[in-house]
Amino acid sequence: MGHGHPHGHSHDHSHPHDGHTLDQGDLAAVVDTSIPDGELSPGQVSRRQVFRRAGLLGAGLTAAGVLGTPAAASATTPQHTGGDREPRGGYLWLAGDHHIHTQHSSDGVYKVSDQVGHGAAYGLDWMVITDHGSNAHAKIGVEKVNPDIVAARRDHKDTLVFQGLEWNIPGAEHGTVFVAPGRNEVSTLKEFENSYDGSVKNAGASTPQNEALAIAGLNFLAESVRRRRVEAALFLANHPARKGLDSPHEIRGWRDAQPEIAVGMEGAPGHQAAGIPKPNGPGSGRGFYDSTPGADSWPGYPPESYKTFGGFDWMTSTVGGLWDSLLAEGKSWWITANSDAHSIYADTTARGGGDFNANGRYDDPTYGGTLNVNAGDFWPGFYSRTHVGARSFSYLAVMEAIRQGRVWVDHGGLISSLVVRARQSGTGQLGVSLGDTLHVRKGSKVEISIEITLAGKPNWAQVVPTLARVDVIQGDVTGPVKDKDVFTTPATKVVSSYEVGKNTGTVTFTYKVGAVDRPVYVRLRGTDGKRSAPGLLGAAVDPHGPAIDVFGDADPWNDLWFYSNPIWIVPRG
Amino acid sequence: MILGLDTGTRTLTDAEHLLHDLVKVLGLPAGTVACTHFVRTGDGPPHVACSLTVPDTLDPGALPEGSGVAFGHGRSGPADLAEGASLAAAAHASGTGGRLVLFPGHDELTGTLGVAEVVARSGIDRVVVLAHAGDPAPDTPVVTNDFVRPQWRDGEVVLLTMPAAGGRLTPAEVPNPTPCCADHG
Repeated sequence: MGHGHPHGHSHDHSHPHDGHTLDQGDLAAVVDTSIPDGELSPGQVSRRQVFRRAGLLGAGLTAAGVLGTPAAASATTPQHTGGDREPRGGYLWLAGDHHIHTQHSSDGVYKVSDQVGHGAAYGLDWMVITDHGSNAHAKIGVEKVNPDIVAARRDHKDTLVFQGLEWNIPGAEHGTVFVAPGRNEVSTLKEFENSYDGSVKNAGASTPQNEALAIAGLNFLAESVRRRRVEAALFLANHPARKGLDSPHEIRGWRDAQPEIAVGMEGAPGHQAAGIPKPNGPGSGRGFYDSTPGADSWPGYPPESYKTFGGFDWMTSTVGGLWDSLLAEGKSWWITANSDAHSIYADTTARGGGDFNANGRYDDPTYGGTLNVNAGDFWPGFYSRTHVGARSFSYLAVMEAIRQGRVWVDHGGLISSLVVRARQSGTGQLGVSLGDTLHVRKGSKVEISIEITLAGKPNWAQVVPTLARVDVIQGDVTGPVKDKDVFTTPATKVVSSYEVGKNTGTVTFTYKVGAVDRPVYVRLRGTDGKRSAPGLLGAAVDPHGPAIDVFGDADPWNDLWFYSNPIWIVPRG
Repeated sequence: MILGLDTGTRTLTDAEHLLHDLVKVLGLPAGTVACTHFVRTGDGPPHVACSLTVPDTLDPGALPEGSGVAFGHGRSGPADLAEGASLAAAAHASGTGGRLVLFPGHDELTGTLGVAEVVARSGIDRVVVLAHAGDPAPDTPVVTNDFVRPQWRDGEVVLLTMPAAGGRLTPAEVPNPTPCCADHG
C-alpha cells in the first residue's frame, strides 16, 4: 500500500459536536471510505450513514468542501477518497506514469503486479501499462496482459491501472496509446494495434503513406470514442526527439487531426538512470538518448536535439523551441514525465525464459543474483512523476485532466505541490488553472498566482530537494504558422525568476503579467539549481536554463527540474 | 574525382560496409574520403547514399549492380538511386553535407586525444561542442572510442562532440547507440 492515512483520525473523541464546529480530522475519518465502518466509533458510523443516505459519501464530499473553502465549494469539487490526496486549488492532484513495460514487451522483464506494486508504493495514483506494439503483442500479448491488469486493479484499490500500448507510430517514434477501462478496452486496443502499428504493418519509414497511416490510427481512436466503443482514448508522443523521427509537421498533424486524442508528449523521457557513470551505472546518455540522425530522421533538426538537457527532451527544454512554437500557435499540447520502466537500475531481477514470440510474453522473472547496473530505469514513481489535476479519483477524471493539460511534472520529488492560477488583478477571482484559458477584456491587468509546497520530505534517494529557483516563461500567441515544420518562436522567453532556496513549507509568488493587449501564454519551470547554462536560443531568452547532460556522467539526483503546462490569457475587444 | 553511389540501403551500417568493400575492391589509397549521405528521392523510403574520392580512371564495372551512380557528368542506374548518388556526390564536392567514414588520418584517431591533436593528426578542420558557444580549449581531451565520424559543414570537416565524464569530450555519435526497442540491460 502506498498511501497511509495521515489525517490522524482518532477513534475516541469525547467532546460533543454541534454540527457547526466540525473537526476536520474527525470528519475526514467519517468520509474516508477506505476506513471500514468497523474502525469507526459508533458516533462516527452513524454520521457516515447520514452522508451515505444523502448520496454524498465518495461523491464529492470532502472535509474542505464542507468547511466551505471557495475552491472546494465550486462545481468542480473533486472527490476525496482518502489517503494523502488533499485537494489543492480545487483539484485532486494525482501522480502518475503513462509509460511502463512488462514481460509482455520483447525487451521487458517484470510482471504487471511488480510494476503496479512498486509504483503504488512509490506514491503513484495512476499508471498506464504500455507494452511495445509488435506481432506477438498484437496477436497474443494485448489479450494476455489484461487479466493481470484487472488483478492489479483489484489488488490496488487506491491505484488506477490503465491498459494501453506503446504504439510504433507509423513513420515516427513511439507513443503511448491508452483507453478508459471497459468492456471493449482490449478489443479496441487489439484492432488498433493490428491495423495501425508501425511494426505490425511494417510502416516505420518516414514516408507520406506511413504518416497518413498514423493519422488514420488517431482517427480510429476518435471514432471508437464517438461510437462509445470506449469512453475515452489518449495518445502522447514518447521520447519525441530521441532519434529525430517526430518531425514538427507530424506532431502538428497528429494534434490537428484529433486534438481530443493526440494531446501531448513526454517532456522528459524515462531511463533517467542511464547516465549514471560506469562501473556503477550504464554510463550512457541520460534517458538513453545516445542516438544521432538516421535515414528516417527529419533533416532539419540540429544535433543538439538528440540530447537531453537537465533530463528533459530538447523539444521541451529549449525555451522558444519546438514546444513553445506549438503553444505560440495557441495549440493545446501538453508535456508529461514517465519512467519508461523496462529494467530497473541496480535491481536483482532477471528476465524469465520462455518463447516470447510463441507465448506473447516471457515467463515470470526470477532472482538474478547480481545487481543490474547496466539497467537505466527507475521504478514508476521513484523519480519521474506526472501530476494531473483531476475532478475526482476515477479513470475518466485522470484522462480528462490530461486532455485539459491540468498537468505539471517533476523529477526526484523536487516539489510536493504546485497550484497556479491566472486571474484578473484585483477582482478576487479564483482564476483559471494549468491548461486553461483566461478570457479578459483587452487592457485588463492580469496576474499569475503561484503556490508551491516544497519537498518537505526526503525523496527516494534520501534527499530533501531544495528548490533554488522558479522561472516564469511567457510567450506571445501569434496564431497558426504557414510552415508546419517551424520549431522556434521568437517572442517566448524567461520573463521573471524567483529565488527560493528552501526545501520545506510553502512559498507563494504573484507574477504580474500586466495589462494584456494581445494573447499570451505563461508556463513555469523550477530547478534545484545544481546545473544550468544559457539556453540554446541565447542568454537573452533563457539565462539559466538546463545544461546539456554529460554523456556517461549524469547523476539524476543532482539536477532536478519541474515544468508546468501553460495557461493562456486571451483579451477580447 | 568524386563518385556518388546509391544502393538504396536504409542503414548507416550497411552503407559503411559498402564503402569499406569499395575501397578494397577498387584498390583505393589511404587518404580516400568516403562519406554517407541521407537522401530522400523518388517514391521510396528515405535512405543512405555514399560518396567517395576515386581516380579519374575508375572502372564503373566494379560497382554493385542495380545501384545508382553519379560520376563526373554521367549518371546511371534507376532514376531515384541515380538522383541519390548525384545528391551525395554534389554535397561531398561542395563540402555542404555528408558524414565522413574514411578520411586522411582516420586510423590515427584512437584512444583519448587532445582537441589540437585530433586536428593535427587528421583531415578534421574543427572540433565543436554541442550546446556550447566557441571552440573548446586545444588541450581538452577527446575520448574517441576509436569511432570518429566528422561531417561536412560549410566546406569544413567538423567533428561534433558532447561533454563527457571528467571534463572531457566525446564524439556526439557513439559507436553502438541503443536500438529502437532495446534490451536495456
